[in-house]
Amino acid sequence: MSATTTKIESEATAGEQRGRGFSVGGREGRARAAAITRWVFLAIVVVILYGPLLILALFSFNDSIVIALPFKGFTLEWYREALQNPLVRESLKNSLAVALVVTPVALILGTMGAFATTRFRYKGRGSVAALSAGPLIVPWLILAVGALLFFSKLKVPLNLRTIVVMHIVVAFPLVAAIVTARLIRFDHRMEEAARDLGATNREVLRYITLPHLVPALAAAAILAFSYSFNNFVISFFVGGFELTFPIWVFSTLRHAQNVPIVNAISTLVSLAQLLIVYVAWRLWRRRSKKMAANDDPMDMLW
Amino acid sequence: MVATAPPITPSTEDTTRARPKGRWAGPIYSIAPTMVLLALFLGPMFILLYYSFQKASLAGAGGWTFDNYTSILTDPTYGKVMLTTVMICTISMLIMLAIGLPLAYILAMRTPPRFELLLLLMLVIAEELNPLIRIYAWRMILGRGGVINWTLQTIGLIDKPIDSLLFSSTAVVIVLSTTYISFTTIPIYAALKAVDPDLLEAADDLGASFFTRCRKILLPLAAPGIFVAIILVYIPLYSEFAAPALVGGTSGYTIGNAIQEAILESGNRGVGSAMSFMLLVLSGAVAWIGYRMAKIRRLQATS
Repeated sequence: MSATTTKIESEATAGEQRGRGFSVGGREGRARAAAITRWVFLAIVVVILYGPLLILALFSFNDSIVIALPFKGFTLEWYREALQNPLVRESLKNSLAVALVVTPVALILGTMGAFATTRFRYKGRGSVAALSAGPLIVPWLILAVGALLFFSKLKVPLNLRTIVVMHIVVAFPLVAAIVTARLIRFDHRMEEAARDLGATNREVLRYITLPHLVPALAAAAILAFSYSFNNFVISFFVGGFELTFPIWVFSTLRHAQNVPIVNAISTLVSLAQLLIVYVAWRLWRRRSKKMAANDDPMDMLW
Repeated sequence: MVATAPPITPSTEDTTRARPKGRWAGPIYSIAPTMVLLALFLGPMFILLYYSFQKASLAGAGGWTFDNYTSILTDPTYGKVMLTTVMICTISMLIMLAIGLPLAYILAMRTPPRFELLLLLMLVIAEELNPLIRIYAWRMILGRGGVINWTLQTIGLIDKPIDSLLFSSTAVVIVLSTTYISFTTIPIYAALKAVDPDLLEAADDLGASFFTRCRKILLPLAAPGIFVAIILVYIPLYSEFAAPALVGGTSGYTIGNAIQEAILESGNRGVGSAMSFMLLVLSGAVAWIGYRMAKIRRLQATS
């Protein structure tokens, strides 16, 4: 990381100097001081964000049931115990199953919603757009409490199915927002040109519109998956006695002190998530190189 | 994590003309998403409203009443919880803005494009990982045998561990203000990205000091992003309950904990849903004000 940052800063400084050919005396020194300040600041932010996770990972190898410094020695015992723990396995299985159902449904509903609010003009379009912004603004705790009361009023039993349904409700408006952002910046003349050249509606969708949406859909899928997999509040309220991974972490931490197997399994789960994002990022890089399209980096994020 | 929305959405006007046979297509596309939201989003919201006006009883509802609201508004314990919550959320928000503003500036103006995306991704990924894991990680840093206490003891600054680091409102503020840095930074980044860097160069060349440039150019232009960041971060902060429950102790008990306790532990649906509904109205107000301010600022900035 530090090497990267140094490079950034030196390039930034170089850029500044090029920009000001007539620069006088103290300016160069000032620019250098500013660059060092920025470097230090970025380093602090990285430490704040990744330091805790690194410490968590370090303690997962510590040969002691008590999580405290100094380190007692290296062990892989906690990984073995975590992977054999039936509750850990069940909770991971449940979380994965829920996320794997939620992601495709959220993608379909969200894309439909995005098309409905950007592509057509009709009465009530504004209300549809406002309604689908709702779950993005209302805090999850409130939605979770409401859903719990709603299901119990209708005598719907609480289980993984209710978790899935409520995860879809919060995840698909996010997909809709991401796809909408992409659709809005889409040059319509591309579609019109294709149609003028004799393409049918289906062909336009297949060869023009969908390829253009791929980065947005990929980003949306990753975010929807992570929304569902990492969601704690909603699952906690509407899940009844079902165990998902975040619920398992919460109840383990609540009832015991720090437990090393939480470190071990959290490290594995975090690494898996990093791997998914890394693979997606590589695929995206390759694609954008191939298409030589200057895709806006923000498309990956929103 | 928290809800995301595109921070600045351009007008959708000119995108609607395409499809020739589009008379019914729009409503047809919107049927499924709308039905889902009507049933499973508005449904729960109305139930919340309904229960907040019901007398508590074992059966769930026992006739209409205002008691839930009056008891929340008059009981000093709720007042104290609300005050703690406002303090914790506001301080956390300010800390995140203090980190997010310079960070957004560096990312938008001082980073070459190929590192820009990498840094943005690093920022997002760090906070997209399981939030509970992050809370737990902070426990290992702030706890009795944690990193901070151990370091201070080893270098001899203190004799015995400081217990108040963990299980306090300070701990909640520390954890929360490292939870939404990306959601604070990215809207501001997006706003600053639209600024012409030459503007700053010009100001610099005309002799404006760093602070003058910040105050007269960067802050006004970042303002729409700041308001979006407030909507995305300040609102969900109020309903946090995992962080206070795991690191808050008694001094870090927030409105989120009170709602969770009322609903899940003491079975007091009336008070629980009244608190939730008040929080909902408050969130709506903050979101609306933030949205208006962002819009006004953007108009001012472009004119």
